[in-house]
Amino acid sequence: MKLTKLLMFCISSLLFSVIAIAQDVTVNGTINDESGLPVPGATISVKGTNKATASDFDGKFQISVPSNGTLTVTFVGYVTVQEAVNGRTKLDIKLRPESQNLNEVVVVGYGTQKKSVVTGSISSVKAKDLESLPITRVEQALQGRVSGVSIAANAGQPGSASTIRIRGFTTLNNNDPLWVVDGVIVDNGGIGYLNQSDIESIEVLKDGASGAIYGSRAAAGVILVTTKKGKAGKISVSYTGYAGTSQAAKKIDLLDASQYVTILNEAYVNGGKPAPFAPTTDKGTNWQDVIFNDHAQRYSHELSFSGGNDTSTFYMSFGLTDQEGIITTDISNYNRKNIRLNSNHKLGKYIKIGQTLGYSNEKTIGIGNTNDEFGGPLSSAINLDPLTPVLVGPEAAVAGSPYVNNNALRDPNGNYYGISTNVTQETSNPLAYTQTRLGNNDFSENFVGNIFIEAEILPGLKFRSTAGAKLAYYGSDNFTPVYYLNGATKKDVNELFRSYKKSYSWNWENTLNYAKKFGDHNFSVLVGKGTYVDNITSGNDITYRGVPATTHDDASFNVDIPIADKIANAYNAQALEHRVESLFGRLNYDYKEKYIFTGIIRRDGSTRFGPNHKYGTFPSVSLGWVPSKEGFWKENDVVGNLKIRGGYGVTGNDSSPDFLYISTVGIQRNYTIGGNIANGQSTNAIANPDLKWEETKQANIGFETTLFRDFNLTVDLFNKKTEGILMPVPVPGYVGATGKTYANLADMENKGIDVELGYRKKIGALNLSVNGNFSYIKNEITYLDKGTNFLAGDETVQSSAYEINRTQVGQAYNSFYGFKTNGIFQTQADVDNYKNAAGKVIQPGAKPGDFRWQDLDGDGSIGSNDRTFLGTSLPKFTYGFTLNLDYKGFDMLVFGQGAGGNMIYQGLRRLDITNANYQTEVLGRWTGPGSTNSYPRVTTNDTNKNFTNPSDFNLEKGDFFRFKTIQLGYSFPKEWIESISLQKVRLYVTGENLWTITKYTGYDPEIGGPTTAGMNNVQGVDRGYYPQAKSYMLGVNLQF
Amino acid sequence: MKLISFKQSLVAFGVLLTLGACDTDEKLEVKGDGVVYEENFYRNETEAYSGLVAAYDKLGKFAGAMENAPLLFLNSASDDFFAGGGGPDDQPGLQVASNYTISPGNIPPNIWADYYKGVARCNIMLAKLPAIPMDAAKKTRFTAEVKALRAYYYFDLVRMFKNIPLILAPITLKEEIPLIEQAKPQDVYAQIEKDLNEAITDLPMTLPSAELGRFTKGAATALLGKVYLYDNKKAEAAAELAKVNGTTPGQPSSYGYNLMPKFSDLWNHANKFNTESIFEIAYTDKSNADWGNFERGDDEGNVAAQLMGIRDYTRTKLGLTALLPDYINGWGFMVVTNDLRNTLLGDPRYASTIYDAAAARGTDNKDPNGLITYTDSYNETGYHFIKYAAVNSDIKSSNPFLNFGINTYVIRLADTYLLEAEALGGTGARAQALLDAVRLRAGVLPVPVSLDAIYAERRLELAGEGHRWFDLVRTGQAAAKLAFKGFTPGKNEAFPIPYSEFNNTKMVQNPNYN
Repeated sequence: MKLTKLLMFCISSLLFSVIAIAQDVTVNGTINDESGLPVPGATISVKGTNKATASDFDGKFQISVPSNGTLTVTFVGYVTVQEAVNGRTKLDIKLRPESQNLNEVVVVGYGTQKKSVVTGSISSVKAKDLESLPITRVEQALQGRVSGVSIAANAGQPGSASTIRIRGFTTLNNNDPLWVVDGVIVDNGGIGYLNQSDIESIEVLKDGASGAIYGSRAAAGVILVTTKKGKAGKISVSYTGYAGTSQAAKKIDLLDASQYVTILNEAYVNGGKPAPFAPTTDKGTNWQDVIFNDHAQRYSHELSFSGGNDTSTFYMSFGLTDQEGIITTDISNYNRKNIRLNSNHKLGKYIKIGQTLGYSNEKTIGIGNTNDEFGGPLSSAINLDPLTPVLVGPEAAVAGSPYVNNNALRDPNGNYYGISTNVTQETSNPLAYTQTRLGNNDFSENFVGNIFIEAEILPGLKFRSTAGAKLAYYGSDNFTPVYYLNGATKKDVNELFRSYKKSYSWNWENTLNYAKKFGDHNFSVLVGKGTYVDNITSGNDITYRGVPATTHDDASFNVDIPIADKIANAYNAQALEHRVESLFGRLNYDYKEKYIFTGIIRRDGSTRFGPNHKYGTFPSVSLGWVPSKEGFWKENDVVGNLKIRGGYGVTGNDSSPDFLYISTVGIQRNYTIGGNIANGQSTNAIANPDLKWEETKQANIGFETTLFRDFNLTVDLFNKKTEGILMPVPVPGYVGATGKTYANLADMENKGIDVELGYRKKIGALNLSVNGNFSYIKNEITYLDKGTNFLAGDETVQSSAYEINRTQVGQAYNSFYGFKTNGIFQTQADVDNYKNAAGKVIQPGAKPGDFRWQDLDGDGSIGSNDRTFLGTSLPKFTYGFTLNLDYKGFDMLVFGQGAGGNMIYQGLRRLDITNANYQTEVLGRWTGPGSTNSYPRVTTNDTNKNFTNPSDFNLEKGDFFRFKTIQLGYSFPKEWIESISLQKVRLYVTGENLWTITKYTGYDPEIGGPTTAGMNNVQGVDRGYYPQAKSYMLGVNLQF
Repeated sequence: MKLISFKQSLVAFGVLLTLGACDTDEKLEVKGDGVVYEENFYRNETEAYSGLVAAYDKLGKFAGAMENAPLLFLNSASDDFFAGGGGPDDQPGLQVASNYTISPGNIPPNIWADYYKGVARCNIMLAKLPAIPMDAAKKTRFTAEVKALRAYYYFDLVRMFKNIPLILAPITLKEEIPLIEQAKPQDVYAQIEKDLNEAITDLPMTLPSAELGRFTKGAATALLGKVYLYDNKKAEAAAELAKVNGTTPGQPSSYGYNLMPKFSDLWNHANKFNTESIFEIAYTDKSNADWGNFERGDDEGNVAAQLMGIRDYTRTKLGLTALLPDYINGWGFMVVTNDLRNTLLGDPRYASTIYDAAAARGTDNKDPNGLITYTDSYNETGYHFIKYAAVNSDIKSSNPFLNFGINTYVIRLADTYLLEAEALGGTGARAQALLDAVRLRAGVLPVPVSLDAIYAERRLELAGEGHRWFDLVRTGQAAAKLAFKGFTPGKNEAFPIPYSEFNNTKMVQNPNYN
């Protein structure tokens, strides 16, 4: 707020200092806000003239005015005051804050709108909400700050994307919202190129009526990002930087060596085998200590310049962010550099041109598998036995030990990295694993920009043409040395690999906008045409085998190796481009900002559909009524500025693969004939020429109001129904298809409520604001294609016998599905007495200590029909709050966020590795009658599938609340810094993820989408999730 | 005035751009890169050939997969092997086949689905071939190969799952899918026999070396003989098998087949497509398979060889001196049962079939007199299967697991000798001569022919080649021989159909599986 005042002051003084010429009466005055503090930069003008001035730092002003004249005082965010001079020469004017946001402008897609006449459900985050927050990726700016938007990190690996869902899951396909950055459509995964401090505002279009302007691409919601523009006036320079350290917020409790031996020996004995391990009192190796770094470094520098004059303004910035991961830091790091240049220019009186251009260079060093039980340091640390030492001496290389292998890895001192003989397969010593990936990285370079021209052809009629493009180069650069981690994880020939890919998308939009006021009737009409092309992707990769090198640094492509060891692949995207052609129009009308109407229609054609259904039409209408502007409304201190609004809109989705409407022939169905590989081709899946647009129809009704002057309340109720969801038909194997057939198979409904409540108060020198939001959402499948009773999920965990999720009418999408436990058999008599109605013993093979599975179909045995729904993977409610305090030079921010109502599948332990370590929960296992009724016996011969049946035993509640950010800052008084020509100096400390309240037993209950490509939308499966770090940072803001 | 005209031209420009959106249909035609529509394919001999190759592709699953490789799966279900591997849940599909806890929920679904992919690729070829302009003789041969392949796929399906849908034409509409019902086993057999009889006429007797791996007249005839035997048509079986076996057992047949002189020569992996090989599935070390394309269709390695290798096998200094084979570090599947080991003990074929790993190791991995060290598999007996064992020099690709170019026999002459002898009822001079020829080559003394003698011989001769479970079920010995593994008579003679086949279909599960 202070900053804005300062800025306004600078600009106003520039603009108006020349105009203030003495005449008639000279009035001296002071402008104060409601708490008596001076307001600098307010504009004081003489009504009916073009004479004006601005208040100074102390809120004082001087202006000459006819003694019977009237002064108009305006300041952003405050109610305009008209004050008759009546011959006075001294005036004290008090400004009352405008009930918040009334004059705020909201970006609505192809234009902006005054917030007071917005009829859709749109949430905003402004630059000032994000200042000096340690945000690495732009979507984190939205987390917990807007209602109706749930955001969960995909991994704690620095630079990882998050899973964003606006008002829940809209479809069974791609649920990522549409990102539009300064008018350029940027795919969800590619949004990481943005630098946080370049963002002016983020708007989330949540309802169908707002989204309809983006038609076929808006079903999952739209996020509009506007980057900063320069402001006319003195060049402003600002710097924000922080440095800090991160560590794991939580480690899980795993068995130590003595506990491990006890449990494993017991399991072997229970499995009918001799106990293999000699008892020990050692603690052994805690592999978590090996992988976690409690001092991972992170820092960020952002420097920006902005300014301009009446014809041209500019904004340019440079950003640098570097963050080390908390797991095996040597192979976990993220680095990004950004450059941005935005400018706007006037060409004469009627034409404006402008451009935005952002460039980013990202380098990600990743640990390989995350959220994957099959390998990766985290999964290894969880599953490796504590008996294996981290390092063993060179003397270990005796006959019979795994260290005799020539490729066993050693540290610089010649010691071998310990190789477990108890836990093998993909699980391996994470330190040794780290050595096999040193230096490997993924890189990407993004250019995103646009250029526009806007011409005012006739008064009120504007033509605008915008061309935007995104060009990305990305790939990876890896060297894999020869290694032997264990018998199943080894490499005998080294490999140098480089991939290089390019993707390109562009769009061109032309709009005509006509705004006209007839008395109290305001009209504006927008018509436009757009072309959107994406998915222009190509790339190649090269592998050299057996290069003469042992490390990434030494490995080179400039070597002579046999031609057979040089492997190259090249490809293009199968569909050379995905194109959408659109026509759209919008009509806005209001009468005295009291009765408001917005109508939108958009027609899109897509390359993804056949001639039968190439085009889709997406209309919407919304209405608003502001009773507080009616004559009957009495000014009161309870309810003010009430706006009631409602809308209905249709949006679409074409985010299915290409070529589904026509039968295609696929490659790579080869066979060895005559000793050589013959290339085979055959038809793919069954085509569906009737494939059509998926439609999302959303009704929204809500209101915005102020309560008791200091509270702001927005409430929205919505019902979002997606019809004809495009999805793969679950085809039985006997069809023999290769690939998937798609159809418009299902309907899904999301009903919910979004609430945003804000409170702002000034108590003496203390400024206080609290903003909270809460959303509740209920997802339900309402229809599945005839003959389809359910859709079996495609997610399995390890060696679980069944998939763990299912989609069925009446249930939430992809609900967890499996067996229900009903306690543990305490005695053989319990087993024998567990019978169905017909007297059949249900689990004759079970032993005391095994789970009693519920025989849901009553057939007297446990089988696939005894599975049922076990809870939803989707959070039912999300919430967040932000507390801002400032007192004199001090400020404080507390930001917390939470979600709940969902279940998490805890799949951290490798079930297919008998000797894999356990979490300490196993110490409460069943050991004899009466010992426990909730954790089964351990055994190497788990014929009752206590652990491998997907069941309620594997599921845990995912509720959590997290103090995401706590920040304390101090701004030096301006008297101290003015002399060194600084406008602002602020120091701050930030803590991130300091405290999480949850009952979940894994590392982190905040689990986003699957990391494995092709896995469909099943959230909340923990396979060894890279947890988010707890960080402490020290930062500074400077402004010149 | 100048400004106005500028404005007007802008208006015109704007309106043009905004409204000139009529002709977009053409722009909205998707342009594919290398995407071929079915309607533009199957136009010439080259494309017909690639369609034929695709139909062959699924043969490679036999040993080119893990738990859904029929070779491993069927061996696991037999009394000759335990699944082995790293633990009781390693490759669970093999474990449940091995310990007879197999159910619709845990059978690897691709065991079933891969065969049907093969069937579908045959069906599309049979639908397209008649209209493809190409050399008539080649068209006839392609048609015959496709029919033989379809017969091969259905023969495995009907023997493993008994009650299966018999689909003979491409399914082109999704609406057809839920209407499909299972056929009677005898109808499936009738179709297999029809396909094979039609194929035999048009298949070539011999193949030039560049075509090795494709179906021949002999392969289809041998397969037909075998099918007849399973279909209980003994006379027809004997007649067909006699054709490939020739008039004098032990002498080359008119098809050119002859037993390899030494049994051990069969397991020298360089001897591909030898005189004894009637139908062989080909693998190569040249496809650069990695996990990214594993089971995609362009991975052409024998993966079973990796799974069957001994875990962490390492030769000690003594072992190196003793010139022990340089086996790869395998994953320890296919642990030989004591029953098979004891049966083979004393037979010369033992040395090519079983490796006494425990004996070579000594008391444990620290035994100073040990020749090797290795890690026990699950169900370890100390005996490992080596007919397809890979050695380190077989590793030719940077992924050491997926690229073994070791072929597998599906039908070889010793098999057809014994099948014919069985079809003859296990009596008579011809049956005796067939049995004698097999035993003579193996280096063991003749025994009087009988069905039991033939069954016993099959086990000795063909151990681990994927026949045993079928043999036990066909000859009614399964219940007795597999009781120790948990085999349930009246249930386990057929495998359960994967439960995913029942989602929204008319399928009926095999008896006694839920």
